[in-house]
Amino acid sequence: MGETLHNVMLLAPEVCITLFLCLLFIVDGLFPSLRSNRFPMILTVVACIASMILTAKVGKTPAAYFGGMVVNDGFTTFFRYLFFFTAAVSSYVAFGSKEVEAKSRIEFSLLLLCVTVGMSLMASASNLLVLYMGIEMVSIISFVMAGFRRDNLRSNEASFKYLVFGGVASALMIYGFSLIYGLTGSLNYSQIAASLIAAQGNVGLITWLALVLIYSGLAYKISAFPMHFWAPDVYEGAPTPITAFFSVGPKAAGFAALLRILLTVFAVKTGDGNWKAVEGLSLTSIIAVISAATMIVGNLSALGQTNVKRILAYSSIAHVGYMLMGLVTLDRSGITAIIFYLIAYCAMNIGAFWVVGVVSNIRGREDLEAFRGIGWSMPVLGTCMAIFIFSLTGIPMFSGFIGKFLIFGSVIKSGGFLWLALLGVLNSVVSLYYYVKILKSMWLDKPETEESLRLPFYHAVGLVGLAIPTIVLGLYFTPILEFAEKTLATLL
Amino acid sequence: MNHLLSFSSSLQGYLAVGAILFALGIFCVLTRKNAIGILLGIELILNAAGINFVAFSKFRTGLIDGQIVALFIMLIAAAEAAVALAVILRFYRLKQTIDADEASILRN
Repeated sequence: MGETLHNVMLLAPEVCITLFLCLLFIVDGLFPSLRSNRFPMILTVVACIASMILTAKVGKTPAAYFGGMVVNDGFTTFFRYLFFFTAAVSSYVAFGSKEVEAKSRIEFSLLLLCVTVGMSLMASASNLLVLYMGIEMVSIISFVMAGFRRDNLRSNEASFKYLVFGGVASALMIYGFSLIYGLTGSLNYSQIAASLIAAQGNVGLITWLALVLIYSGLAYKISAFPMHFWAPDVYEGAPTPITAFFSVGPKAAGFAALLRILLTVFAVKTGDGNWKAVEGLSLTSIIAVISAATMIVGNLSALGQTNVKRILAYSSIAHVGYMLMGLVTLDRSGITAIIFYLIAYCAMNIGAFWVVGVVSNIRGREDLEAFRGIGWSMPVLGTCMAIFIFSLTGIPMFSGFIGKFLIFGSVIKSGGFLWLALLGVLNSVVSLYYYVKILKSMWLDKPETEESLRLPFYHAVGLVGLAIPTIVLGLYFTPILEFAEKTLATLL
Repeated sequence: MNHLLSFSSSLQGYLAVGAILFALGIFCVLTRKNAIGILLGIELILNAAGINFVAFSKFRTGLIDGQIVALFIMLIAAAEAAVALAVILRFYRLKQTIDADEASILRN
């Protein structure tokens, strides 16, 4: 009993979110009039902040608990912060948007908090069953969130496509898990790793089949090649605040799961804090190819698009390619760079989608035409968008540049994958074309009609709040880097 | 007859059934245009994984964890089917069809 209680205490952030979820239900039942004002949003933000505080409290000593099924280390702590922050910002965005109707705001908060618990489980899972439960918790609720505008055909189609792809991908993944279970006799990461090492490079075809199947599930979550097809359609059809959340939250959760599996199951820690691939299962060249393909597919498909939401969807695929690049070296600097990139990506990508959401609320559409001259009529919005776009492109002085610099730097330093780093730089140059198209439309094209638009204060505060870290992290990044290093040092 | 009996009580027999179900599921997902058909394909793959888990836990590890996973797979399959049917119903209300090819507003 005491043991279980102690374990539950270590799970306090997730428990806290769940309790707030119940509270939302009860309050909605008792006071139905509260559901259409900002009350659910305030409660969501409070839940996230409370969970962040609890995360700081329980994250002191790395430990495995619930019989080694869940681990609580620096890595978990980092991702918990990221998820709770993303959830809080997303609910703030959603409550200022017309796309999330006032009468269904409470459902939005409930679904968002559910997904957040699932993401948190994905990051802390060290057991295939827990990982599967976390992934499904995120996926199944995401299907509902994508179709949040029930009477909107586009939203429904997004949900439909998400469902079909997601269902197949996770079914393939669990079949892969069953093969791994049969081959190694365990579901726990550490025991799977032990029996893979004991096999001493004696790896059969079935292991590779299992790997392909598991990869298909995780690649779907992070929308990496070849499971990226759903992303542009779903991102375009889903309500914009929910797209902003999808492009950061579940994606980061997928990265958390992928990183943990790669570093604890398919690699062993060496003495100097780096990793070495398990004998016979060297995945680095495969990841390099996947990373290159993801970048190229994302960037080239974005070139011909005219819908800004779709451009950003393809750009988020390309960014997954850049992040995967940090994995090919399997050393500390590469993984640290990924963690830094995730922080930078979180702020700039939510910001960019937020701007699209505001414009789409005003104009009713989100193609390049809708952005004409909007920089001049709403300078704060235009400036913030410029900052996010420059950062996404990777122009110096912004956080995206530092992220890319660290990742490319780690690849070049290791020496083996120079072609990949070169390809990454080339891709960044190509991406400049479609990013600048958005800015050109906003600032250089004159609006068709003279209209006076005002950016609501509510949005201005939030956008500036995301633009500031995007600039600050580009100039003063050492503390975050040290934090990322510390995060990795305690990876169990 | 004896061959059949020994096959049905060996690991290989169960794995073969699992593999056949898996292949049928993939085939179903790839060829069906009907959304319910795709959903059935997904269920077949999930159950193939469930059979694998139970067989491995009985014949290979001797531990109960594989059977627990099979239970969880059933649970997830039910949850997924509930959401999937709701989404498909909604789609039907708006489009009067559940043909996956008709989901075509969002494309390049």
